[in-house]
Amino acid sequence: MTLSTMLSTMAAGMGRTCGVFILTLIGSLPLGMIVALLRKSRFALVRIIIRAYISVIRGTPLMLQLLVWYFGPYYLFGWSIRGWRFPALILGFILNYAAYFAEIYRGGIESIPVGQHEAAEVLGYTKAQTFMRIILPQVIKRIMPSVTNEVITLVKDTSLAFTLAYQEVFSLAKQISASQTSFMPFVIAGVFYFVANYIVAFAMERIEKALDYYK
Amino acid sequence: MILEMNHIRKHFDDLDVLKDISFGVDSGEVVSIIGPSGSGKSTLLRCATFLEKIDGGEILYMGEKAAYTDESGNAVYVHHQQLRHFRSYCGLVFQQFNLFPHYTVLRNLTDAPIHVQHREREEAEATAMELLGKMGIKDKALAYPYQLSGGQQQRVAIARALAMRPEILFFDEPTSALDPELTGEVLKVIRQLAEEKMTMVVVTHEMPFAKAVSNRVIFMAGGVIVEQGDPLKVFDDPQEERTKQFLQVFER
Ligand SMILES: Nc1ncnc2c1ncn2[C@@H]1O[C@H](COP(=O)(O)OP(=O)(O)O)[C@@H](O)[C@H]1O
Ligand SMILES: [Mg+2]
Repeated sequence: MTLSTMLSTMAAGMGRTCGVFILTLIGSLPLGMIVALLRKSRFALVRIIIRAYISVIRGTPLMLQLLVWYFGPYYLFGWSIRGWRFPALILGFILNYAAYFAEIYRGGIESIPVGQHEAAEVLGYTKAQTFMRIILPQVIKRIMPSVTNEVITLVKDTSLAFTLAYQEVFSLAKQISASQTSFMPFVIAGVFYFVANYIVAFAMERIEKALDYYK
Repeated sequence: MILEMNHIRKHFDDLDVLKDISFGVDSGEVVSIIGPSGSGKSTLLRCATFLEKIDGGEILYMGEKAAYTDESGNAVYVHHQQLRHFRSYCGLVFQQFNLFPHYTVLRNLTDAPIHVQHREREEAEATAMELLGKMGIKDKALAYPYQLSGGQQQRVAIARALAMRPEILFFDEPTSALDPELTGEVLKVIRQLAEEKMTMVVVTHEMPFAKAVSNRVIFMAGGVIVEQGDPLKVFDDPQEERTKQFLQVFER
């Protein structure tokens, strides 16, 4: 196998890795906010469920969670899991990252001084307006460094998709390396992850800079 | 009467912070509230501005009841839609300014008028610029709060409250967080508002200011009004022992 065929075979895997990455972010960034808000719900039962969800997600390996989402329906209910591989993978990633983002959001929301809420309340803003106009913009600025860390971890975590034999770049690298007895696929995969993270770090830095207009 | 607070009671857990406080504020009147730290001054302002709920008594704005005590002795507030209407009567200036750091000075002054009161942007901006002119910081309209001195920030906070066109403006120790050389510029704008007959209630430790500017001074201690009246009388000839003791500390 020439280097160029190796590269073109692996390119499809890179595309799938990017797909997992983007779908996870699209799902987990907003879901994390919902989870963070539900965690402070008026209803004790909701709070308990959300806290249990967060502590289970954070207390178990993502790899195990992926296996549970994929094989769970079969072992628990005897359902067929044909065609379930990709949905299970994305579900597992989204629910995992939402829990981590929720904790970051919660920390950010709690770090905003109570005076901001009070000033808004006296000015007559509704609760929703206060959150959207006054609190959230300040939260986003404060949590950017933690979110960046999490997003970079996600780039690397996408390789856990190999657990479900999903053909992303890392799974392909292993297969091609074994069949061709070559080390090259790992080098290619390594460069790919590195470049992907470089792009992510660059983009996040630009966002942080853009939010630097106030302190 | 713009504001009437009758028999106000408020406690935190088993700490009685306000014990049967009654007072009223007439249109155009400037009332100073003085008293030792922990006597309940901030809590009183927070109850008047609905940041804190009373446990007993009644609050009236413009003669209309915003909160009252029912037969069973519990404080009852009007429906929250009506409460928003009562809120619009009052403005509050905080010790810590509490400006919105992500908004420019101008937007701090226009955001609530536009999004809460649904006023036209042009009108809100014109009003804001006029207020900034009065505060002597027109040139700071496009600055962010962090770029201003404490005295300038507090003047923005006063302008932000005024931009809502309140009937009455409350100040909770507006100069206590400022370096001594910056208190003058803030007191000056409050004095100017007093001359324009803005109705105000000012909690302060600036005794010469309270004496010179207010129509009435209230001395609070331990959750009660110990003495109130004409500032010249309260400051120069206090009747209560507690007031004398408190004022002595400031005479040195
Ligand atoms: N949210 C609160 N929870 C519990 N205690 C409070 C709270 N706010 C104020 N207090 C207490 O109430 C008393 C009066 O406080 P405050 O109204 O701030 O007094 P002042 O403004 O005159 O210094 C103090 O003993 C204070 O510790
Ligand atoms: Mg106070």
